[in-house]
Amino acid sequence: MSDREITFAEAIREALAEEMRRDARVFIFGEDVAEAGTPFKVLSGLVEEFGTARVIDTPISEPGFSGIGVGAAMTGMRPVVDLMFGDFLTLAMDQIANQAAKVHYMSGGKLNVPMVFRTTMGATRRSAAQHSQSLHAWVSHIPGLKVAIPSTPYDAKGLLKTAIRDNNPVVFFEDKMMFKMKGVVPTDDYTIPFGVADVKRAGSDITLVATSSMVQVALGAAEMLAQIGIGAEVIDPRTTLPLDKKTCIESAKKTSRAIVIDEGYEQYGVTAEIASVIAEGAFYYLDAPVKRMGALNVPVPFSPTLEDVTVPTEQTVFEMARMLCGKS
Amino acid sequence: MTTEFIMPALEMAQDTGKILRWLKSEGAQVIKGEPIMEIETDKVTVEIEATTSGVLSNGTAREGDVIPVGQTIALIVEDPKGFVNPSGLSASPVARKIAEEHRVDLARVKPTGGRIEKADVIAYLNKDPKGLPNPSGLVPASPKARRLASERGIDLATLRGSGPDGAIIANDVLNMSATYTLAPARAGSPHPSTPLRSAQDADISTVWRVMAERMTTSWTTVPHFFLTRDVDATALVELRARIAPIIAKRSGVKPTYTDLLVKLIAIALRDHPRVNASWMDNTIKLNDAINIGIATALEDGLIVPVVHRADALAIGEIATRRKDIVERAGANKLKPADIAGGTFTLTNLGMYNVDAFSAIINAPQAAILAVGRIAERVIAIKGQPAVRPMLTLTLSSDHRVVDGARAAQFLDALANLIEEPFALLA
Repeated sequence: MSDREITFAEAIREALAEEMRRDARVFIFGEDVAEAGTPFKVLSGLVEEFGTARVIDTPISEPGFSGIGVGAAMTGMRPVVDLMFGDFLTLAMDQIANQAAKVHYMSGGKLNVPMVFRTTMGATRRSAAQHSQSLHAWVSHIPGLKVAIPSTPYDAKGLLKTAIRDNNPVVFFEDKMMFKMKGVVPTDDYTIPFGVADVKRAGSDITLVATSSMVQVALGAAEMLAQIGIGAEVIDPRTTLPLDKKTCIESAKKTSRAIVIDEGYEQYGVTAEIASVIAEGAFYYLDAPVKRMGALNVPVPFSPTLEDVTVPTEQTVFEMARMLCGKS
Repeated sequence: MTTEFIMPALEMAQDTGKILRWLKSEGAQVIKGEPIMEIETDKVTVEIEATTSGVLSNGTAREGDVIPVGQTIALIVEDPKGFVNPSGLSASPVARKIAEEHRVDLARVKPTGGRIEKADVIAYLNKDPKGLPNPSGLVPASPKARRLASERGIDLATLRGSGPDGAIIANDVLNMSATYTLAPARAGSPHPSTPLRSAQDADISTVWRVMAERMTTSWTTVPHFFLTRDVDATALVELRARIAPIIAKRSGVKPTYTDLLVKLIAIALRDHPRVNASWMDNTIKLNDAINIGIATALEDGLIVPVVHRADALAIGEIATRRKDIVERAGANKLKPADIAGGTFTLTNLGMYNVDAFSAIINAPQAAILAVGRIAERVIAIKGQPAVRPMLTLTLSSDHRVVDGARAAQFLDALANLIEEPFALLA
């Protein structure tokens, strides 16, 4: 059973179901989470098992139900709030950044906010500018929050269980384009600690630090690079907050070159943070500038042709790595 | 049609070339194959020919500039119509303004049409950041390369970068420290001449700088030892006296003692391959050919042109070759091949009436022979004083390649040949 393959969506659903069975305080609420099981069908079947008291549909009001979630967490529950599109984080931002992230600190440690904001990210779904953004950098900026950003079904399940069991507010990003991706997920109960990066592929010539779906892009690029004799190491930080700086730095020290790939906007983005961590930590070991590859700094176009060029691809990562390695 | 004229690489280890003289001026019509400039590399002076016919334009380098290999020095424009002003550049006012704001040298911008337009400058700015001026004067190098160079005491300015945009990367430093390479002159413009220059400063030529660096490296890294031997030159003097007229009649060149010694050394080396070897990569490399370098003093330094396969040449042929290379060395006309491949060096200061001296090895060669003048001295022969023309040989050897016994055996063989050169015929 250990090599059983399930989809990313199924891994999320399993994590939620297992945690809800394990802990009666865990409940889900948000828009279209119950009968609809979300537009992505990630939660299908949960309302049937746990009922409408624990899988609760809410009105279309992100600030409202996010605030309810914070209150429930402060008073002993462990809510998992579903924010359908990451773009809607903007609406819930006061509850996340000013309430959830601050309560433990401002109450002198008397209150905890053990909750999870599950939301989505990722472009190329033809969802246009207000439903295609990857805004994890916004929340990764805020002390008091934790931010998980899994790239595989295995990581998704393990990280979501950790998120639910954590006594701090966690924002959990799932790439919409990965829900159908399959991967090996064990049936036994396991968790993945936050702040521990995973080396998805070992290599010695260049480090590709990638997040979420960009890990798959980086792995594809690494395969292409291998064809021309460049060994790429693919590092997945798995959580942007806390960030496993050490693994990123040590890998860059080993390879002397690094590209950071993330689907958020490039400007002031996750790529900027990780690139600066590498530049500072591995400076005297670098043989090329640390390069960043994020989404183009434009509203995500609705035109499929245009949308596809706004995000890094295997080809563009391959080209960048080849250039840095001086192989043309 | 515009052809870029770049600083050519004439030698394996050449990183830069110094423009000695423009033979054609800006705006001049040049014909393919015609010499347009004279450049000096680490070791030689060469005339560089036009690669195509057209009008010489956009010359960016001045005489005296040291230019990295591969850098564009000038353009040869086949259709000169676009170049309205042969002494400068044709560019639109907007292009000039943008170039000025971004401190772009217009000479580096390649026009798509007849003259440089705004779009050309913008394309240059977008595509070619390496061309941007380097206000700090720092050599572009990766942090890792800087650290490695600093740890190894290597001056980055002496390296050529193979990284993105020509930056020096770690491998460039590691390759430099792994192989014995000469440090060429610093790339970029030479120091601007200051009017109040100190009286003690002397201009240092590339040849002198290379000599200085090469001698320092050899003296500080090669474990030298020296063997001295006096030889009776009676037979050598006699041999020269007898063959000189024959050779002079045949080829017009009068053989010198140097020529005779080149031949005798080459013959002696045949039986002593360890002395005709090099210390390379922590091992001894025996050289197949016997190529004797002749240390030659120039006004601005030392150069060692080579008589290749000297053991297979007749003394007359050696004399002809020696005359040719020494003359061309004096005229700065040596080609890279003339100074390549030496396996043993002879240095002779006899003409300056030096009796004997010790020489620094011309690394990576294993040995160098220093010879003084041939002078009459009183020696004892069978208990009786006698006056004979005597010559003192001093062999400097690299102890990593040759031990004392081997060096002594070679020196003994050479001394015997000098004292009995007719053995060549035996």
